Amino acid sequence: MPLPGRAATATAPRLAAIDWAMLETAIALGHMPLAACELIRYRADAVAPPIPDHVTDLGLRGAPNYELLQLTRPDLILSSPYYTRYEDRLRAIAPVLSLPFYLPGEPPLPHALDALEALAEAIGDPASGQAARARTEAELDVLTERLRPFADRPVCAVNLGDARHLRAFGHDSMFGNLLTRLGLQNAWSGATRFSFLAPVPIEELASLPEARLVIVGNIPPQAAHGLRRSVLWRALPPVAQGRVYRLGRINPFGGVPAGLRFAHLLADALQGGPTSIEAAG
Amino acid sequence: MSRARLSLLLASVLALAVALWLAAALRLLPFADWPGLPLDPGAMSLRQILLGFGLMPRGVIALLAGAVLGLSGAILQAVLRNPVADPTTLGISSGAQLALVMATIMAPGLLEGGRWPVALAGAALAAGLVLAIGARRAFAPVTMVIAGMLVGMTASAVATALTLSQGEYLLSLVIWNGGALVQQDWSGVRALALVLAAGALATGLLARPLRVLSLGAEGARGLGLNVALVRLAAVAVAVVLAASVSAELGLIGFVGLAAPALARSLGARDMRQVLWLAPPIGALILSLCDGLVLSLAGRTGEMFPTGALTGLIGGPLLIWLLPRLRGSTPPGTEAAEGPAPRLARAAPLLAMLALVLVAGALLLVWIGRVPGGWAVLDRESFAAFLPMRLPRLVAAAAAGAALAVAGTLLQRLTANPLASPEVLGVSGGAALGFALTLFAASAPTALMQMGGTMAGGAVALALVATYVTRRDMPAERVLLAGIAVSALATAVLSAMMAVGDARSWAVLAWLSGSSAAVGPREAAVMAGLALAILGAALVLHRWLAALPLGPGVAQGLGLPLRRARLALIALAGVATGAATMLVGPLSFVGLMAPHLARRAGFARATDQLAGAALIGAILMLAADFGARMAGFPYELPLGLFASLIGAPWLLWLMTRTAR
Repeated sequence: MPLPGRAATATAPRLAAIDWAMLETAIALGHMPLAACELIRYRADAVAPPIPDHVTDLGLRGAPNYELLQLTRPDLILSSPYYTRYEDRLRAIAPVLSLPFYLPGEPPLPHALDALEALAEAIGDPASGQAARARTEAELDVLTERLRPFADRPVCAVNLGDARHLRAFGHDSMFGNLLTRLGLQNAWSGATRFSFLAPVPIEELASLPEARLVIVGNIPPQAAHGLRRSVLWRALPPVAQGRVYRLGRINPFGGVPAGLRFAHLLADALQGGPTSIEAAG
Repeated sequence: MSRARLSLLLASVLALAVALWLAAALRLLPFADWPGLPLDPGAMSLRQILLGFGLMPRGVIALLAGAVLGLSGAILQAVLRNPVADPTTLGISSGAQLALVMATIMAPGLLEGGRWPVALAGAALAAGLVLAIGARRAFAPVTMVIAGMLVGMTASAVATALTLSQGEYLLSLVIWNGGALVQQDWSGVRALALVLAAGALATGLLARPLRVLSLGAEGARGLGLNVALVRLAAVAVAVVLAASVSAELGLIGFVGLAAPALARSLGARDMRQVLWLAPPIGALILSLCDGLVLSLAGRTGEMFPTGALTGLIGGPLLIWLLPRLRGSTPPGTEAAEGPAPRLARAAPLLAMLALVLVAGALLLVWIGRVPGGWAVLDRESFAAFLPMRLPRLVAAAAAGAALAVAGTLLQRLTANPLASPEVLGVSGGAALGFALTLFAASAPTALMQMGGTMAGGAVALALVATYVTRRDMPAERVLLAGIAVSALATAVLSAMMAVGDARSWAVLAWLSGSSAAVGPREAAVMAGLALAILGAALVLHRWLAALPLGPGVAQGLGLPLRRARLALIALAGVATGAATMLVGPLSFVGLMAPHLARRAGFARATDQLAGAALIGAILMLAADFGARMAGFPYELPLGLFASLIGAPWLLWLMTRTAR
């Protein structure tokens, strides 16, 4: 049963990615997996890096299609501790490399960078891992330089849920971790739970009067509608004083590429100047 | 309770609620700095705005929403003459939830103008369904609640699957499901105040006809009352009330149940007093809950949705209320289908079913989808796939059989055609056990999760069993106890969801059920369990034959009634718990298979058990095949797929005219 992608070079390892962060890590190393999970959502939500059409979609991350996985005959399956509950099943098909990215209370960027080298090691191409790490650090250094003029104020990165709630990214999230790495101050110093804080009432933003507000991703239509007429939203210092910036969709549980995408979009948005929630997106 | 003491009690609760709110408000801003009236945002400081457009409307909307829900519950309980009726137990809130979820995903433009029309349409549809089922059975309270819970659970399951399909980005849905009271202007207050006023007016108009109706439908008709019209109008008012709270704030469960119940236990004698007292009591309940949430937030900085807190009181409250539920099902009204055909010899048909099962399994092992089309496996692929396919087919069939046996046991035990493992509470307990394991251990193994799930199911089962062993407990109460346990489990689960980190998605995924991760060992255990359960049930066939004749007859035949009930419930519980691990808490196979077996003519207990087990296995195989193939390579949740087959059939069955 021939599958697209079977004709890859003989030496290149055949990778199949269950976890999106691992998928991104493999791409960052220049080893596009033959198959990965939930590509429809990935292309919509994470946007970049682009996944070529010949990569086989393995179905849901929570319930991957094992038969299809078997058909792709992977040499190595890329997973993460989120999926320990069916790791035994995966091991029956091929060796599994499961690397942690997001652990409670720990900044994820070091883990993501370590994953570059660990994966490179596992597929017998350690040079690509060191190169990718060096490239990433260099890119982040350049961006840090670009962002230096904005170090005067703390930055608060949020997802808007509805007109009354948001999700704030603390130091144990990729976005929060990157703010610090880029020489900025993460305004959200409050207690954070696993990876990012679940629904926070919008009024909490009132306690960050100095901050630049960075909205990541789309604003649901009814939330935009509600915010336009909200007295409190309009009175929040970042909104009232025009310090709102918007970024496109980024995978919040991603690997190094998602982190870099955030950093680039952030630098572009801050240099491009503030916007408003009325702006289409 | 005397009027004076009642007012004193209510006043002191109000004082407590106000004190909690004031504490939160004063933490925000000292009284001296409070904004003057009228509120002018232009001239106010940020903290004043937080108070004037945040906490103040929040305090008011807690009172208003509580009153609206209390009124809605009181009306429903009055018109249906059912003390456990409320927007949650009748599936109305879940209907609104499903409609909102669907709109959010498929037509977000619809929500641009607000959530009201969408929520109302969903709530009305769910209420219409439940009432249509109830109307065939003279609105028997137990049937209404079971139908409502089934409709509600199905709606929630579909909503869950849809939420899941959207990945982690549909934050608004998770928030809405939690039922948070956070406000940032007065528009919600204005809207709910209007709704409450209109509802009060409508209730005033309906009070007299409702009181006439409380004499019984026959008597009311004799007095010249248009019974159908009054019922319809009253339910419509209640639905609008509940839907508007759903639209404005989200899922806030059980306030509508608690308020009238408390009104009655505080001494409200007749319906009029209950209708009057329920809204203020509901207002106080929600206000108090929100005050607690506020003081919790002040202490720990964590926001907990208020709806999750009211859900926590719902389960215990139902358990407390159930023994007071009078007026069990009128005899005869539960016989949905008239006399079923009766096969003289069941063996040939049973053999045929077994043949279909084996042939189907063999066929499904050989064929399947690959990228680009369908394929019959060649030798090599067959060898590679067999270790993956066979276990899941065996496990699915075994789970179907186990659920079917559990359903047959429960339907015979309770003489209620709506009895099914879904309402036994075991599934809810198992789901809770799974979620707790996931949240307690940072990287739980499959074995730990299995253990947690089993333990949860066992605890739920023990609760239900304790409840049943009390004296004078009609068997159908088992179902209500199960519903109460399910409600509690659901509430705790939704509170966990509202906390909303990545693990919530694992729980959501499991809730919809999947047979994908089954290995050969699990499949063998599942098959062995299913056979053992079927064997045990067949041994107990004497009890099963006698129990549907009623407790009196059964006892007359020398049946150890209490022991028999306990044994059968334990058996059904084990069967459900085992199957739940695989297919998730909802599938309807346990409801469908016994009915189909009965319709096929398996009248004797042993025949029905064997027939139902075979039919259940076939149904689950078909569901598994459909779940894997429909969205290839995306595997749909098995339990959900089975429900989507089962739910329409169930509705068709339940709305058929009793003959």
